[in-house]
Amino acid sequence: MPKAENKGLLIFFYVCIAVFSVICFAPFVLAVSGSLSTESRIAAEGYSFWPRGFSLETYQFLFGSKLEQIVRAYAVSLTVTVLGTVSAVLVTTAYAYVVSVKSFRFRNVFAFFAYFTMLFSGGTLPWYLLSTKYYHLDDKLIGLIVPYLLSVFLMFLMTNYFRSIPHEIVESAQIDGAGHLRIFIRIMLPLGRVGVVTISLFYALQYWNDFYLPLMLVTDERLYTIQYLMYTMMANIQFLASGNAAQVGGAIIAPPLETAKMAMTCLTVLPIAILYPFLQGFFVKGIVVGSVKG
Amino acid sequence: MFRKKGWLGLLMTAVLLLGACSQGGGEATTGTGGNDANPTDASGNEASGELAPAKLKIVLYGDESNRMKELAKTEFYDRIKQEINAEVEFQFLPWTEYAGGKTDLMLSTGEDFATYTDANYMVKSVAKGLYADLTPYTEASADLSKTVDEASFKAFQLGGKQYAIPVGNKPNSAEFYSVLVRQDLLEEVGMSEVTSLAQLEEYYDKAHAAHPELIGYAGVDARRMLLYDYTDKNLYWQNDFVALDESAQDDQILNWFESEEFKKYADLMRGWYEKGIIPKYAATNVPQLQSDWNSGKAMFWAGTAARPFEGAATISQAVPDAKLVNYFLGEGRSKISRGTYSTAFFVSSAAKDPERYVMFFNLLQKDQELYDLFAYGIEGTDYTLDENDRITRLTTDSLIPDWLLMNKNFIRFDNSVPDDFIAEYKAWDDDAIISKGAGFNFDNTPVKNEETKLNGVLTEYLAPIGSGFVDYETGYPKALERLKSAGIDKYIAEYQKQFSAWYAEQNQ
Amino acid sequence: MVQQATPRDTNDRLAKRQAVSFGRLRKSIGRDAPLYLLALPGIAVLILFAYLPMSGLILVFKNYNFNDGIFGSPWAGFANFEFFFSSMEDAIRATRNTVMLNVLYMLTGTFFSVAIAIVLNEMRSKWFVKITQSVMFFPYFISWIIIGAILFSLLDYDKGILNQSLAALGLSQVDWYSSPWLFMVILVLANIWKSAGYGAIIYYAVLQGIDTSYYEAARIDGASRWQIIMRITLPMLIPSIILMSLLSIGGMLKGDLSMIMGVTFLNPLLLPTTDIIDVYVYRTAIRSGEFGFASAITLYQSVFGFILVLVANKMAGWYDKDSKLF
Repeated sequence: MPKAENKGLLIFFYVCIAVFSVICFAPFVLAVSGSLSTESRIAAEGYSFWPRGFSLETYQFLFGSKLEQIVRAYAVSLTVTVLGTVSAVLVTTAYAYVVSVKSFRFRNVFAFFAYFTMLFSGGTLPWYLLSTKYYHLDDKLIGLIVPYLLSVFLMFLMTNYFRSIPHEIVESAQIDGAGHLRIFIRIMLPLGRVGVVTISLFYALQYWNDFYLPLMLVTDERLYTIQYLMYTMMANIQFLASGNAAQVGGAIIAPPLETAKMAMTCLTVLPIAILYPFLQGFFVKGIVVGSVKG
Repeated sequence: MFRKKGWLGLLMTAVLLLGACSQGGGEATTGTGGNDANPTDASGNEASGELAPAKLKIVLYGDESNRMKELAKTEFYDRIKQEINAEVEFQFLPWTEYAGGKTDLMLSTGEDFATYTDANYMVKSVAKGLYADLTPYTEASADLSKTVDEASFKAFQLGGKQYAIPVGNKPNSAEFYSVLVRQDLLEEVGMSEVTSLAQLEEYYDKAHAAHPELIGYAGVDARRMLLYDYTDKNLYWQNDFVALDESAQDDQILNWFESEEFKKYADLMRGWYEKGIIPKYAATNVPQLQSDWNSGKAMFWAGTAARPFEGAATISQAVPDAKLVNYFLGEGRSKISRGTYSTAFFVSSAAKDPERYVMFFNLLQKDQELYDLFAYGIEGTDYTLDENDRITRLTTDSLIPDWLLMNKNFIRFDNSVPDDFIAEYKAWDDDAIISKGAGFNFDNTPVKNEETKLNGVLTEYLAPIGSGFVDYETGYPKALERLKSAGIDKYIAEYQKQFSAWYAEQNQ
Repeated sequence: MVQQATPRDTNDRLAKRQAVSFGRLRKSIGRDAPLYLLALPGIAVLILFAYLPMSGLILVFKNYNFNDGIFGSPWAGFANFEFFFSSMEDAIRATRNTVMLNVLYMLTGTFFSVAIAIVLNEMRSKWFVKITQSVMFFPYFISWIIIGAILFSLLDYDKGILNQSLAALGLSQVDWYSSPWLFMVILVLANIWKSAGYGAIIYYAVLQGIDTSYYEAARIDGASRWQIIMRITLPMLIPSIILMSLLSIGGMLKGDLSMIMGVTFLNPLLLPTTDIIDVYVYRTAIRSGEFGFASAITLYQSVFGFILVLVANKMAGWYDKDSKLF
């Protein structure tokens, strides 16, 4: 057995991954350090890996008197993420199962029915009109959840994971007289757990990162999510900095543009950076459980 | 199966949407009719008892401060209720939604609200029937029209109808025609003033020698401030493509990009770019320019009446002793004004009670007391006044944005603004003339395609030439070819036709 | 006689066949009823938030005004497409740039995602995998605006770290922001950096589901690490790779405006390669406030993507019937 070759290859792998990880991590360090620098020094000297003129100015500017609002926004985001992820995963796995059943004669119709929406959309106007005037989703928590319950991309991804489950297991269950509901709940979900956990992660991110639904549907500030709050602040700061303000007649204010950008990155990425290892723990555990059963 | 569902869905929506839109339109009509019936209501001074209660929604852009939130529920609410018997709700949207985005959606789906606009967005929205015609209600803004000039009202008329009510009154003639110079730097290098291009460049050379880290001009567009050096005309731009010569009493428009003037201007800018007055990064990172200016890293900028003190407040964070002064690089050309408004409020066409909205706008500029309330808050809590009527604000929270309300009849300055600045500021417009194109709004419907394509040619080919990033000689032939194929001739002809007709009507 | 009998016979036979197939259908509906039930919530979401709003596509062929409503507004025919297709040179360039960048993103993105997933799969050090996987996922959260700002501090002509390093090495400086073709490489690299970790998670999950007995068997047979990767791991990923590719082919004509805006700041000198359809529409139609024009081009992107996907789906079917999307 060419052991030396194996070892060499493995070391090469480790080095590659380590290098790429460092490259991926670097901007995050820049962001943290940038957010802790003073605006004038960043503007004058550029970013660095160590804060230039350490200060909490930017965070004070962002939080200002808004601490309460930010805490509430985090709470809303968390609620939406948890409720949204759980319900979306249920809806998605159910639909994906239907598409993955080989004996189902309309499975392609269902697949196409879903895929078509990935390509064609009627634009925001009718969507907005229906959501606010007919479904009355404006200013409701449920409005931040329901529109994203089925991501077609993740549905197909899930179908792919379901399909990799050995067909014999399903067949033997069918011979035992199990119906679709039973197969779905008792066999597919547990065996497809790797996939379920993966799409859960992606759904969680989607809900956590979304600012579009609050922008469109929410006017009540008690329902602002953290991403929407950040988006608003960023949009306004950029607008003030872009000089467009002058065109509309805006006054010239100098918000801490560069450092604020960095601080906002930290504020939205940080919770994920902290939570991710835990999520991943769950993720890996899920995989272990999945493979044991498989 | 899919087909059936798809069509069924389409059919259902068709019914739903049809219902929605006809309803929206219907409401707007009845609203208008109802108010036309008693035009005597159209006075803001009438006792609120006579007015039926109304609900108004005012959309503003930017961040809503905590203090604004509080006041909106308490003093603002009570006071407006008392004045015009209306319950006003303020909704804040991010700036990205200005003149498009959610504002457009809210208008198109028939929501009842009012917010501010510019002439450009107004023309497009009126064409789609999104704004209410406010002509019958101009009476309701009687107090406001005493403090806002007539040219500002004209700027928001289309076909003789008033579609938005201008707010604000500030000296804003010759915007960007002056050079805003860092006087402290100028004096540091042994100069006292800048009255010509030669002096400006001398200032750059000297300051560059002393501080090589500084950039020269913190902008990419200097066609206004350099006017004296490339033409004898007094040019005033209607948009990116069309300028007027204000010194000539005729209806001729100037096709800017095909003019001799543009060539000369482009050559000047090329010189600036090669010299480093405009930094190399300007081609990519325009926001960085302003950021450099704000952090005191640029020598000059384009000036406006208010920038010497507005801008100083910003720069002083980085350079405490910065001093800013406006200079013109030549003389003998009248300052041109488009009207003194800051912005203008429109009312959505689905609004039930447009008149009440106009009465609300009227309150914004009615008198000193209300102005103080909306711009500064409660005396003692939010601000104090000293014996010279200088203001000290006790909170940094902004209320209804003061740039929006800014009216030279009511504005209060703080202690940091020297008296001579204030005097100069207030007198800024004294020798200004109103542009001969003020109040003309181009209807782009016949040349929509051309205008859209021209914008593409502008951003790719002409803007870089105009800013000196690309040499005129090498870049222009291609740019001209694209300009022609995008339909510049048709566009200019249409513009000239509409402008001539309008001009003739004005000068009958 | 014969001529008369035949149609009746056929009718009878048809009727019979129909009865049979209806019976079968009813039976299959009976058996499949739970499937419809399972799909129901998904169908509801699709209808409510995708199919009903799709009626708005009609707006693309209309000259919308509020008073007449969506359906009452006058027809505009293809007028909303005109601005784009009447300047063929721009339309072709924008389409070419979009497809070119997307193909490059797809190829490089897939390659790196798969490579990372495979390499992670080889590693036995759990904490190393855990940490690096998290870290490689980070860039996905960083907005293009931030990435643009960081790239700017690297690539700026005068003060950029890269040019300063080149100068220190005695090499001539490169004006990155006015080299359209060079910048395309930068865009591709930035895309890999941002999305490879994300994609790797998808593939890595597939690999975690593989029965370990395959590997044990191979190892007993004395296969080298490289052979195992090429003969077992990679083939395992092929269906997923095909699926992911099919899903992205539909979006072949759709570009990421926020990326180009964030990274190039819409620098006019870079437009020869960065003027993708979305950018072109942004700097023409959206800048002019003609939102109707913008949605017309979205329809063009969709229809074209749809055609591509139909073809690609067919091709995937030749490889393996099961890897078809629908």
